[in-house]
Amino acid sequence: MFMFSTQTTGLVGLAVAENPHERLRILYTKILGVLQNIPKDAAYRKYTEQIVNQRFNLVQTETDVQKLQDKLNSGHIEEVIVQAENELSLARKMIQWKPWEPLVEEPPSDQWRWPV
Amino acid sequence: TVRPKNEVEQKQLCAFGEYVAEILPKYIQQVQVTCFNELELLIHPDGIIPVLTFLRDHTNAQFKSLADLTAVDVPSRQYRFEIVYNLLSLRFNTRIRVKTYTDELTPVDSAVSVHKAANWYEREVWDMYGVFFANHPDLRRILTDYGFEGHPFRKDFPLSGYVEV
Repeated sequence: MFMFSTQTTGLVGLAVAENPHERLRILYTKILGVLQNIPKDAAYRKYTEQIVNQRFNLVQTETDVQKLQDKLNSGHIEEVIVQAENELSLARKMIQWKPWEPLVEEPPSDQWRWPV
Repeated sequence: TVRPKNEVEQKQLCAFGEYVAEILPKYIQQVQVTCFNELELLIHPDGIIPVLTFLRDHTNAQFKSLADLTAVDVPSRQYRFEIVYNLLSLRFNTRIRVKTYTDELTPVDSAVSVHKAANWYEREVWDMYGVFFANHPDLRRILTDYGFEGHPFRKDFPLSGYVEV
């Protein structure tokens, strides 16, 4: 297998992250903090906490970057960092949108009937 | 010959559809999986931006690519236009379809803030169907002629048009 190069990620626009464990640790703690503001029974909070805790444990137990990438099975470690940043921004927006509430409005009865 | 049924993929898509419907019950009205394994989410129009941002940013559903944005005109319905978004996830190699509805006069939120690719697609839907997109940076005609009146893809627009060429 091609050895992990520390000069470039191979992806356009993504620089190599120095100290990825620290960055991921900060991001995951921030996400968990933001999720505390969501009601406890919301499905989004439950599933996201599950994903974040799972990844957090992997990051804390595995110190080698290459092995961590293999275990996470989600592309380069820089991509994992970008994904964590996206999840953080999504959690902040979810607090405003509150999608766990019941349905806003029922559609008209013939709206989704196919064939018409 | 008949296309072979892929039960495993159908089950996975059903499970994922239920997962998304459980997380976003405020906007999702219906979830369906077609017989040839295509997942469709049927949305209330207020929920376009929340649902598209969720599908783009969530770790279990990284649908980063907007493949298509179209509209369907069904004149017999109360909300005659059905806006369709086709999304592709490169991480998980899956596709998903998000559908909303509107009528001629109600504006719909623009998806440009979520996917930059939606810019020209929404201009095309405006030009061809007359669906207005709120918060679009530059909504003007894109395919019809400069002084063209009317919206050609509507079902009540005649095939050879109103102006003689």
